[in-house]
Amino acid sequence: MTMLEIKDLHVKLEDEDKEILRGVTLTIPKGEVHAIMGPNGSGKSTLAYVIAGRDGYEVTQGDITWNGESILEMEPDERAAKGVFLAFQYPLELPGVATLTFLRTAANSLLKKRGQKEMTTPEFLKHVRAEAEKLGVTDEMLKRPLNVGFSGGEKKRMEILQMSVLAPSLAVLDETDSGLDIDAMRIVAQGVNALRGPERSMLLITHYQRLLDYIVPDKVHVMARGRILKTGPKELALELERSGYAGFTTEAA
Amino acid sequence: MTVVAIPKTKAEEALARNFETVAERLPGGRAVAEARRSAIGMFAEMGLPHRRVEEWKYSDLRNTMKDAPPVPVGEPKPLTREAVSQALRELGRIEAHRIVFVDGIYRADLSDSDGMKGLEVGPLAQALGKPGVGLMHENLPGHAAIVALNTAYVSDGAVIRVAQGAELSKPLLLVFLRAAGEGALLTTRNIMSLAADSAATVIEAHVTLAGAAAGQDNCLSEVTVGEGARLAHLKVALAGAGQHLGTWLVNLGKTSTYRGFQMTAETGFTRNTTFLTYGGVDAKADISGVFLARGVEHVDTTLVIDHAVPQCESRELFKGVLDGRGRGVFQGKVIVRPDAQKSDGKQMAQALMLSEDAEFDSKPELEIFADDVVCGHGSTCAEIDDDLLFYMRARGIDKETARGLLIESFIAEAIEKVEHEALRDALQAMTVASLQRRA
Repeated sequence: MTMLEIKDLHVKLEDEDKEILRGVTLTIPKGEVHAIMGPNGSGKSTLAYVIAGRDGYEVTQGDITWNGESILEMEPDERAAKGVFLAFQYPLELPGVATLTFLRTAANSLLKKRGQKEMTTPEFLKHVRAEAEKLGVTDEMLKRPLNVGFSGGEKKRMEILQMSVLAPSLAVLDETDSGLDIDAMRIVAQGVNALRGPERSMLLITHYQRLLDYIVPDKVHVMARGRILKTGPKELALELERSGYAGFTTEAA
Repeated sequence: MTVVAIPKTKAEEALARNFETVAERLPGGRAVAEARRSAIGMFAEMGLPHRRVEEWKYSDLRNTMKDAPPVPVGEPKPLTREAVSQALRELGRIEAHRIVFVDGIYRADLSDSDGMKGLEVGPLAQALGKPGVGLMHENLPGHAAIVALNTAYVSDGAVIRVAQGAELSKPLLLVFLRAAGEGALLTTRNIMSLAADSAATVIEAHVTLAGAAAGQDNCLSEVTVGEGARLAHLKVALAGAGQHLGTWLVNLGKTSTYRGFQMTAETGFTRNTTFLTYGGVDAKADISGVFLARGVEHVDTTLVIDHAVPQCESRELFKGVLDGRGRGVFQGKVIVRPDAQKSDGKQMAQALMLSEDAEFDSKPELEIFADDVVCGHGSTCAEIDDDLLFYMRARGIDKETARGLLIESFIAEAIEKVEHEALRDALQAMTVASLQRRA
């Protein structure tokens, strides 16, 4: 069965001894959307980075498998070819490289790695424009260098556009709601909801409950001090909103 | 004081001696011949610049130049326009008025003969010695030896005049092709003058034919931009394993605009020195460039910007990509004379280091004698940004492609300074292709 399985994952920074993830276990079946909520410093973003394959972390124990295959030894671009996508909390700027050029390079790299035929420029343009329109991304934005001079909301929309164009089977969204006003959040949520489907698993990482009003998860996990401390239905998010994380941050490890 | 006689190097001796064997064949009348002889005498006294000369601290030409190649002799090499285009790479596809020099000599058979409205252009060898066309020899600080060698040996070049008010309909492409199968000393000089309110784009391309041997280029351009005139002046050097010594002497008239651009790649040792002087108020200069060095290549960009009069603006932006044991040097001197109030100067030199052994030496120098000026400079030296690399790889882009895009991103700001769209695209494509060759 297609799913993300994280088993007893222990992670520390390469050059420090302190563990950031201290035994995370989590399963996301195919087609489900899970949310991880937790206070600052709980290890949420680290988990996102380790799934995507960022350098600088050392997995000391445990494993991450995607569709039954361990991805820990794979380079970030190999993971992307397997369908893994990370929407960044802080999307980076790339001066001098047009957004369209970047998108086309990424899309064609993925097709090539998967042994599929690369798209022609007109095919690609048609594909991107259709997705861009849904997210209110203008042609002018597509011509501009990636994320350069974009507002916070525009950058997040661009992340979702990249996700739509690259069509991953596992999407990890790291604090996609941070820095968004309510209108921007609605657009982003619509974009994410449009991508929900039986073939796609998603992991939403968020500090606040409000994103989950717009993207309703199948399950909510509470993370603190490097562990998943509680898992429950979507109502768990509301409970957290009322009581806060206090109970979790002080609970004995 | 003890005067220590420094023994002449093999190259210095050869440069002085070779002159005698070619002096007779070099163009120009008696006055020119005398100027040449006086210049070689000057050179013999000075010798090649070396690291104990302040202006050459980071670029020891005397140590680099083990020997001096001879001036090529013999019949002109048969060549086709296509062969020239091929050597020009992407630049060969630009729609431009082409003037071609092969091994330092004008080639009518490879050059465009149809005229362009407002343009007068011809080979220096024919014009030399005629009224108004002589060999300037300014005693430029730290640079006299290079100019002296140019004066002594110059074989040809382009003399360009753009008429008052004329705007050239397409760029003028001066091609300097190295074709000789044996190492050669190629010495050229261009004299460009733009009359008031005229506009032109001039590109100097120093390229190498496949199979040509490495040698030395000594090329000089004397540029006068008249009142209100606008010049885009570009140079592309893909000069091969030898040395490329370039000198630009630019004089800007009142309210004129000058946009200089220099791209250097695949060249053993490069020293590009630009002396730019403001001769009239409210003039603007923007000089930028991209330099690539790998292996043991060395690229030195030296600028001397002289705000001699008030209210002028200068901008410099140079970007270098350094790999292997490649070395980049940037020396930017900005002088603001006592009367040059309201001068506005900004300078930036940046290097992207692709290896541990690459080196970048950056030396800004501001000599400001006026009190109401805005002048700034900056310099950075960085490696590929790991966060950006990860961002791109997380999107499925492989490491090499991602690095390539990051390098493109780094140099883009400098290349975007080129206003002519087709030229800008060609330069971008050439740079990217050149970077990929290194892989």
